[in-house]
Amino acid sequence: MSTTAFALNGLVAVPVAFALLAALLRRSERAAVTVAFVGSLAALGWSLWVAMLSRSGLEANRVDQDWIAAIDVSWSLGVDGISAPLLVMTALIGACCFVSLFRHAPACGGQGNLAALLLLIEAGCLGCFLALDMVLFFVFFEVALIPMWFVINSWGDEHDEPGRRRAATRFLVFTVLGSALMLVGFMLVRSIAGTFDITEVARQADGAAYDLGSPTAVLASVLVGLGLAVKTPLWPLHIWLPDAHSKAPTVGSVLLAAVLLKLGAYGFVRFWLPVTDPTWELLVPLVAALAVVAIVYAALACLVQTDLKRLIAYSSVGHMGFVVLAVATFTEAGVQAAVYASVAHGVITGLLFFLAGAIKDRHGTADLDRLRVLYGKVPRLAGVFAFAAMASMGLPGLAGFWGEMLAIRSAVDQSPALPESTFAVLAVLAAVGVILTSAYFLVLLRAMAQGVPGDRLGADAADIADVDALEWLAWAPLLALTVLLGVMPGLLLSPVAEASRAFFGGA
Amino acid sequence: MSALLLGLVLLPFGSAALSLLVGHRAEVAVKGLSVGASGLGLVLAGVVAVPQLGDAAATGQVYASTSAAGPPIELSMYVDQLSAVMLLLAHTVSFLVQVYSLGYLAADPRYPSYTALVALFTGAMTVVVTADDLWLLLVGWELMGACSYFLIAHHWELPEAREGAVKAFLMTRTADLGLLFAIILLGIRFDSYRISTIMAAISDGGFVRDELWLPAMLLGAAVIGKSAQFPLHTWLPDAMPGPTPISALIHAATMVAAGVFLVARTYPLFLSAPAALNLLAGVAALTMLLGALYALLSEDLKRVLAWSTVSQLAYMFGALAVGAYSAGILHLLAHGAFKALLFLAAGSVVHAVGSTSMSSMGGLREKLPDTFITMTVGFGALAGIAPLVGFFTKDAVIGASLDAATAGRLIWPWLAWVLFASTVLTALVTVAYCLRAWLRVFFGQVASSAEPAPTSEPAPPAEPVDEDQQPPVLVTEVHESPWAMRGPLYLLAVPTTVGGLAVAYPHLLLGSEREHHLLHPELAVVMTLLIASAAAVTIWAGRRSTGRATRRPFVPHPPVDRIYEVGLVRPVRRLALLVRAGDRDVIDAYAVGAGASARGLGWVLRLSQNGNVQGYLMVVVVGAAALAVAAGVMA
Repeated sequence: MSTTAFALNGLVAVPVAFALLAALLRRSERAAVTVAFVGSLAALGWSLWVAMLSRSGLEANRVDQDWIAAIDVSWSLGVDGISAPLLVMTALIGACCFVSLFRHAPACGGQGNLAALLLLIEAGCLGCFLALDMVLFFVFFEVALIPMWFVINSWGDEHDEPGRRRAATRFLVFTVLGSALMLVGFMLVRSIAGTFDITEVARQADGAAYDLGSPTAVLASVLVGLGLAVKTPLWPLHIWLPDAHSKAPTVGSVLLAAVLLKLGAYGFVRFWLPVTDPTWELLVPLVAALAVVAIVYAALACLVQTDLKRLIAYSSVGHMGFVVLAVATFTEAGVQAAVYASVAHGVITGLLFFLAGAIKDRHGTADLDRLRVLYGKVPRLAGVFAFAAMASMGLPGLAGFWGEMLAIRSAVDQSPALPESTFAVLAVLAAVGVILTSAYFLVLLRAMAQGVPGDRLGADAADIADVDALEWLAWAPLLALTVLLGVMPGLLLSPVAEASRAFFGGA
Repeated sequence: MSALLLGLVLLPFGSAALSLLVGHRAEVAVKGLSVGASGLGLVLAGVVAVPQLGDAAATGQVYASTSAAGPPIELSMYVDQLSAVMLLLAHTVSFLVQVYSLGYLAADPRYPSYTALVALFTGAMTVVVTADDLWLLLVGWELMGACSYFLIAHHWELPEAREGAVKAFLMTRTADLGLLFAIILLGIRFDSYRISTIMAAISDGGFVRDELWLPAMLLGAAVIGKSAQFPLHTWLPDAMPGPTPISALIHAATMVAAGVFLVARTYPLFLSAPAALNLLAGVAALTMLLGALYALLSEDLKRVLAWSTVSQLAYMFGALAVGAYSAGILHLLAHGAFKALLFLAAGSVVHAVGSTSMSSMGGLREKLPDTFITMTVGFGALAGIAPLVGFFTKDAVIGASLDAATAGRLIWPWLAWVLFASTVLTALVTVAYCLRAWLRVFFGQVASSAEPAPTSEPAPPAEPVDEDQQPPVLVTEVHESPWAMRGPLYLLAVPTTVGGLAVAYPHLLLGSEREHHLLHPELAVVMTLLIASAAAVTIWAGRRSTGRATRRPFVPHPPVDRIYEVGLVRPVRRLALLVRAGDRDVIDAYAVGAGASARGLGWVLRLSQNGNVQGYLMVVVVGAAALAVAAGVMA
């Protein structure tokens, strides 16, 4: 096996192997979590190695093996500058989750199984970011989705059992239906191109061998887009998300928001762009418009949320709107923006969900009517939350800014095939969304962190512990990355730039 | 040189991070660290900036660059005369504020985070004034907004502080969108984000007049928000619940000064787009008079100073709008000195009496001798009394607007006349409110502190720190502040007194390339006479009103806040409620509907409801079956 094949296959195999090991260690929950943590560290190291390899481009870093030869499905994995940052981000978030799991064992037990499932989800996500075969992508997609149903259903909000079950079911119904549509779309693509290999499809589309003008091609693009839109999620298909994110256990919410949403975003870049033609009159502007609606709509919804985790969940909808808007501009800058915004959102929203979990653990509730004066009670926790909120509202100098700024820029300077004035309006609306985002975070901080210390709700529990060492350990990488990506955007932009140039057929 | 410059930028950030890390574990260390770091920053700023004054050529350096699509985003710095004077101003005021805070916030439990934010603020301003890349400038620009948000909300127990902080941040951030889009448009037009490159390209010409009106107007909008000009002026007075040293920092050397700086930095762009200059001139003419009138009517010492900042910033914009670059910049520097002095002195008064309301002050002349002397100098400079610095710079601005009215070409002549009339009138109102505040604080009856201060506006409460320590403040206990607070006052009084020399020799600061037409002797004589008569009228009016129940004249405030409330905040809130309802009812309906129609699928899910493995396997099997069917269809 060549080095590349070893590296790419290994990146999927390592977490799967450790997940099995963790699942077998039924006796000792603690040992299972430790095994899973070691596995996630191994995956993190491995992903860094793969990311180093990715510099030489997609063609030099791919594995192709026959898999289900009867229907022409092959085991094609590959990595380039677009997928590498997402791989590293996924592995990092995974490792942080296991640290957090050490600190806070779920009340209902079954920690070991939870750890195994989380590692399996991680493996599925890593596979998705590596897959170049459309069916393989679909398979990994399912591998990531189904364990998540167990996670929400069994380890979700312990105070609301029917709620968490409903949330889990709705999550599964939506996303499985979505991926089924996507699969049908992939079939249609194959019926035109004769292959499931997306790079081959892209090549044909460039050379006009893949007829983008035919109705089948339009239908394929719509179906693939629809499936991904459920996962991303795009308004109005986001309805499964707030429930799933708010009822999931902390680690589940973190993975859902930071990693699983990126499957949709990445799918848009890798599998939707090649099968879509920007010169179609309606589809692309419509997707961009829905993305902008999502930005504004989510921000408005956040203004009136009463539950902290729901609020952060809705804020994810808005942030993913920026990602889709950037993709829908059909430019190199747009792809860069999408990758940057995805990674930044993963880091920042992962951190926010960790913080929300920490707040919920300490107060027994995430109800915003009952959370008061956190600056006074848990100053460090509240301070970190304020920092994460600033990052999430896109403060320049922190990670969140560059992705959204580049998304807006790419919307102003979109592909010449797209209607200019429409995108200019969309860019302005997206910017209004930035202001609304600031508004709801400020309102949130005012209600939750500030206030009069002596009041009825603030008086109780003077003995709530502030951030402890394990929590610092779990959050420190995310805090550091938020600052690092904010002050050194070139760190991520430059490798992504090369890959996106190659992606659009440039040198 | 370039390493020093980078060090100067990084130093405040490092010191802020260290202060936060050390925190309450070693408060003395934090104090030493913050004062030491800001002192070192001042020294570094001197080393970097002083060689750039006068006729020196600007230096620039690119430290890092991205290779993304579009023009590169760079970590690049650029120091010219303008950056140099701004660096000196920002670091001087910041250092003095840090020293002053040792006394002012001696017992404050949140001192570590406070001092870290002050350092961060200084760092952000340093980034703004030295950035050569527009994005880098935006980073500093918005970081300042965030720092001001946290500092205004320092006393977050107070509802006014919470409201003021949110308002300041949201208003300025909304205006900042103008800067964001201006950057994007300039980047597309010039294929570069480097300010020096773009400005050189504009200066070289080849542009139709007003071709760049859109980015110029957008920049103008950002500046109007940042520098609290009409109609985005209301956040500045409402930011007064923050600790007083912060007000000095925001008003004199950072935040609001950044707006004026940005216009000066992108001056070729504005000169090429008279539409934007007209906008600035109109806004300035309106704002300066409005600010002065509200300063005259305010019952709260800090709000008087806040409104006066709004009004004085408008002078600077007026000067820049008519092409008087050096008059605008010198007034900015002069204002930086005397406004820092005034705020710190006001802090000293507040520290002594425990309230910011002027009705709880009076007769403090003998009790606070040092504060009295220095604040008198400050008020004198603000009012434009010869030979203090404000006299010279304000005269330069008024002279420039007169020149523009008679012979200018940049803005519409009628607007120039309006601007000129506004500058003269505002100067007179300024005298009136300075004199009024000065008399009420230091002369007249000693206030009885027993009765609550009657204030027309929701007066920002005193620093609660003081209230904690000395519950009912009795006038007999009024005492002069510690030397940590008095020292900075005297130091700031020096440039306030002799700063006028800069107007006589402007080329030593700003170089001799630019045309400086700053001294207007005839106008100065006329203005001095007018000022004297305004002072006489004020004193006469003050005499007449004493002894009677003060019937304060009513001037309706332009209802901008009301318009924002009715036109923006409420619709947004209503829309938000609608969205929530929409998510619950409309979209949920189809989710439920889909759920019902997917009952067929539901049995799979119900099987796996108890989390057993069969269920999971079933889903996988169904998936595989679907795959097989699909393959069959295709084959």
